[in-house]
Amino acid sequence: MHNTEAKARVSAQLHYELSQHYYQEATLLQDAEFATWIDTFVAKDLHYWMPVTERRYAKDKRPAPTPYDMAIYNDDYDEMKDRVARLLTGAVWMEDPRSTVRYLITNIEAFHTDNDDEFVVHSNFAVYRHRGQLEHSEHIGCRQDLIRKVGNGFQLARRKVSLDARVTEDKNLYIFF
Amino acid sequence: MIDMDKLVDTKASTQSKQVFWDQDVYDQEIKNIFGRSWLFLTHESMLEKNGDFITTKMAEDSVIVTRHSDGSLKAFINACTHRGNSVCTADSGNAKSFVCNYHGWVFGTDGELVDVPLREKCYHDELDRSSLGLKTVRVESYRGFVFGCFDETAPSLEDFLGDWGWYLDTWMVGAGEGAELVGPPMKSILKCNWKVPTENFVGDGYHVGWTHASALNVLGGELGGLAGNQADMPFDELGIQVTTRHGHGFGVIDNAAVAIHAKRDEYDKYMQETIPKVAENLGEPRAKLFNGHWNCSTFPNCSFLYGTNIFKVWHPRGPHEIEVWSWVIVHKDMSDEGKKEVVKQAVRSFGTAGTLESDDGDNMVQSTHGNRGTHAREGTMNSSMGQGYEGEHPDYPGIVGSSFIGETSYRGFYRFYQEMMSADSWDDIRANDEHWADCFPNKDYWKDRLAARSAQAEEK
Repeated sequence: MHNTEAKARVSAQLHYELSQHYYQEATLLQDAEFATWIDTFVAKDLHYWMPVTERRYAKDKRPAPTPYDMAIYNDDYDEMKDRVARLLTGAVWMEDPRSTVRYLITNIEAFHTDNDDEFVVHSNFAVYRHRGQLEHSEHIGCRQDLIRKVGNGFQLARRKVSLDARVTEDKNLYIFF
Repeated sequence: MIDMDKLVDTKASTQSKQVFWDQDVYDQEIKNIFGRSWLFLTHESMLEKNGDFITTKMAEDSVIVTRHSDGSLKAFINACTHRGNSVCTADSGNAKSFVCNYHGWVFGTDGELVDVPLREKCYHDELDRSSLGLKTVRVESYRGFVFGCFDETAPSLEDFLGDWGWYLDTWMVGAGEGAELVGPPMKSILKCNWKVPTENFVGDGYHVGWTHASALNVLGGELGGLAGNQADMPFDELGIQVTTRHGHGFGVIDNAAVAIHAKRDEYDKYMQETIPKVAENLGEPRAKLFNGHWNCSTFPNCSFLYGTNIFKVWHPRGPHEIEVWSWVIVHKDMSDEGKKEVVKQAVRSFGTAGTLESDDGDNMVQSTHGNRGTHAREGTMNSSMGQGYEGEHPDYPGIVGSSFIGETSYRGFYRFYQEMMSADSWDDIRANDEHWADCFPNKDYWKDRLAARSAQAEEK
């Protein structure tokens, strides 16, 4: 599901286009344009995954988590759409007044795949959430995406979000990474 | 000296706001409550083979739990007896021994000190290894759920659970195979007092309609009508609340076990097939509970939602912070496909990014930090909902409240909290075994209510 093989690195022109797509996506999420994001930036065959990764000794040979294991996010398109719908009910008391979420997206590396219109893209993120007077949290990690060229833009088909922290220092992770 | 009668008033059903903020209250909780209660450690399914281990916490103490080479379960403090370093830094694994990173002392999976570098040359072979094992913790299992206790004089785990064990058997035994936990646990920090989520899970059916209005709106289904408390639902006939001798308690919404799970084909099928088997195995009263949705806390800091199937421990980190650990409960005799569905749906609603969990965290934090101010803390908090509408029930042990929206099990939790905080020892607590329920004086409540119900049914 998340093991599409990355081939050659993309051209400078394609890397630029993909980078611009990622910045646009971050802007949409920062501006709480969640409906636009799910409708236009996300493919209907989405799998959005944030596994739980234990701290294990180097000699521990148990396999890495799969989408059948415990995961903080393990959503298909309709489930992500329901998450967006919840945010738009007007009844998420915690988000009124709204929190601000800032995305710093870096280290974008993009690769061709066996499909001409699909690309594997790796990126790092720093996501900061501020709320109320002094409340703030930060989440650092990386994303491994499968991105599909659709018309003049791109759509997200697979996203694996890996957080660096074992223990989340935040009251929830209801943030789209 | 803390005035325990002021801290918890069982007659007025109030608690001083100091319970969520004051350092001296917290220090006494760590000593009297976490030092004497059975605390949840893990499930045996995570310690299947000899040498398997997990690391966890008992209040602020780091603890290793192992399956020793003789097959028995062991638990000990994760601190080297030489200079205090942790001897295990992984979440879980399989080991023959634990080696301290500092000087290389080696401990067995039973905590015994088995080797010390330079023992002969520099300790001159005079070190008494037998007295330098890791500090051990009592460990016992109930239906595969493993608990630890620091107090040698505490009752057995089974006696500590008491009548709560009768309720737990509803799903920990169920149709016969019982249940297990799926991990590894999600972990997060919440800046709240440990009792806020514990009391919320033990008995807060009241917040569901309001706090979770957004998620229930999107979810719809059986509980959709609770959203915003708008619907004309029979709020006093939706279920019951229960509290037991040692503060463990729960609320149950009848016929709503699977209601929070958006995708549940396998789960629905399993429930339909299994309810009659539970009735046969454990009787009708528990078969009815098996099909209900429960919000529960096992005193002091282990909570779960049966039905939704999330299972949590709130590890205290000072009076204003906890670490939340979350696993998923699965029935052992469910299909693999069904188990995967349950894990996914449980996490989607009550995991770290859960659609309902995300509503709760902010309340937990605010309920704690609202007490920061000196003048705010002069007041009390109220948990009187349904007081007097509770008593002994012919079918269900403990004290049973009239509706799942009530605060019977809040009152029962704080009643025992006060008892433990005040007691000098388990002997003091045992001395109160006959009288613990005196603060629930309406002894005929259920007799009268059930009689009124049958009279009503006859009229119809």
